[in-house]
Amino acid sequence: MNAIETRKLTKRYKTKTAVSELDLTVNEGELFALLGVNGAGKTTTVRMLSCLSEPTSGECFVCGKSCIKEPQAVKEIIDISPQDTAVADNLTVFENLRLICGIYGYSKEKTTAKIEEMITLFNMDEVRNSRSKTLSGGWKRKLSIAMALISEPKVLFLDEPTLGLDVLARRDLWSVVEELKGKITIVLTTHHMEEAEHLADRIAIMLEGQIAALGTLAELEELSGKQGLEESFVAIAEKYGKKAAR
Amino acid sequence: MNKINAFAKRNFLEIIRDPLSYIFCLGFPLVMLVVMTLVNESIPAEAGMTVFRIDNLAGGIAFFGLTFVMLFTSLSIAKDRSGAFLVRLYATPMKSGDFIAGYILPMGILAVIQVVISLIFSYIVSLIVGVSINPLGLLLAVVALLPTMILLVSFGLFFGTLFNEKSAPGLCSIIISLGSFLGGVFFDAESTGGVLLNICNVLPFFHGVKAARMACALDFSGDFFIHLAITAGYALVVLVLSIVVFKNKMRADLK
Repeated sequence: MNAIETRKLTKRYKTKTAVSELDLTVNEGELFALLGVNGAGKTTTVRMLSCLSEPTSGECFVCGKSCIKEPQAVKEIIDISPQDTAVADNLTVFENLRLICGIYGYSKEKTTAKIEEMITLFNMDEVRNSRSKTLSGGWKRKLSIAMALISEPKVLFLDEPTLGLDVLARRDLWSVVEELKGKITIVLTTHHMEEAEHLADRIAIMLEGQIAALGTLAELEELSGKQGLEESFVAIAEKYGKKAAR
Repeated sequence: MNKINAFAKRNFLEIIRDPLSYIFCLGFPLVMLVVMTLVNESIPAEAGMTVFRIDNLAGGIAFFGLTFVMLFTSLSIAKDRSGAFLVRLYATPMKSGDFIAGYILPMGILAVIQVVISLIFSYIVSLIVGVSINPLGLLLAVVALLPTMILLVSFGLFFGTLFNEKSAPGLCSIIISLGSFLGGVFFDAESTGGVLLNICNVLPFFHGVKAARMACALDFSGDFFIHLAITAGYALVVLVLSIVVFKNKMRADLK
């Protein structure tokens, strides 16, 4: 079964089409990157897949469950780390993690075990009792992802997880994401070429709400005739732009 | 229930860890209590003015403090809505009812704590100034203020849902000013009569304050239950309205 499947998925706002007839499949256990410039429709796509926004038309499924007809069932098996850091400011790292365990109805024993697992995975022991408003951007982002991961999702959406982070914090976060590869399905949105190149199994280049190209790095290079993701992206974007203009 | 407990606990901790909530919900009303008691001490006995006497002031100041619980309820919800925190929770299996209960319950508990502290402080002041207040009356005032607590927390939910974190406190300030003035906290509304008293009578604030004052005085004549019923009626209407508004807003956010 595909982890994610969309059929002609479309989101229209009053004057703008954010996502247009998107057909997409993401395999189970895959780390799939949605790459595009700002306003390409990446976040809108993730919002529809995580039941945060209703599609205007088309269909989308997560692990076979419809995001439109069974949003509650979908919400049981997904989690998201939104673009903006979504943590409770006056709660400590430990309390933020405990909050999510409470929402998912974990027992006391499971809550303790899962919190310790996350704190170890994300190396957060030194900040476990610090209130999140006192944390640096990197720590906050790690906490935000840990809060998404603690619910044991089958599909994890990471919306621009390294936005605004310095190079060291970004690398640190990459190593955590790499550890998750293969264990769960991850959909990552980013406009950092290096990030998609480094982490993703497959990359979808999104332009103006549509997928302009999709494949592994090698496939995108072959398609564009260029070396490296950045060069390939530019070539595909230019080609797509000319095609759209026609 | 787990979801509600977890979310309510988070909201409770967020408020009690904010120093501003102590300044506004406790500090300011208690300072007003002391100031008004000093004013009362300065008024000659022959003026026959009793509105600032501690046995009258106790219920009024408890009401005044509650209006700040409304302010913090609205601020807390508006802040959550403006950031990404609620977006994260919208993607969990939490339903609108879980969010509503998770906001209302901790604010209700904070309101009870605020009223209890305020009335204990009033009792201490009454001992200092030598005016007798029956402790049983103070205890019953907590019960008499329950509809007011529901009313003001519901107003907080209403404003926090509809407005952002800049507008919501401003609108709450209007309710705080109107409520304390037209509730007769700082002036004797009953001695005014005319249009002003009619306006006071139409709104719930005056009845909430009056019920608290009558409970403090152990005066459970017929009027007490009328004041209580009017406040409870308003509380129910505003509660239902705020729930409907929150549910609609959540549905619109997820469109």
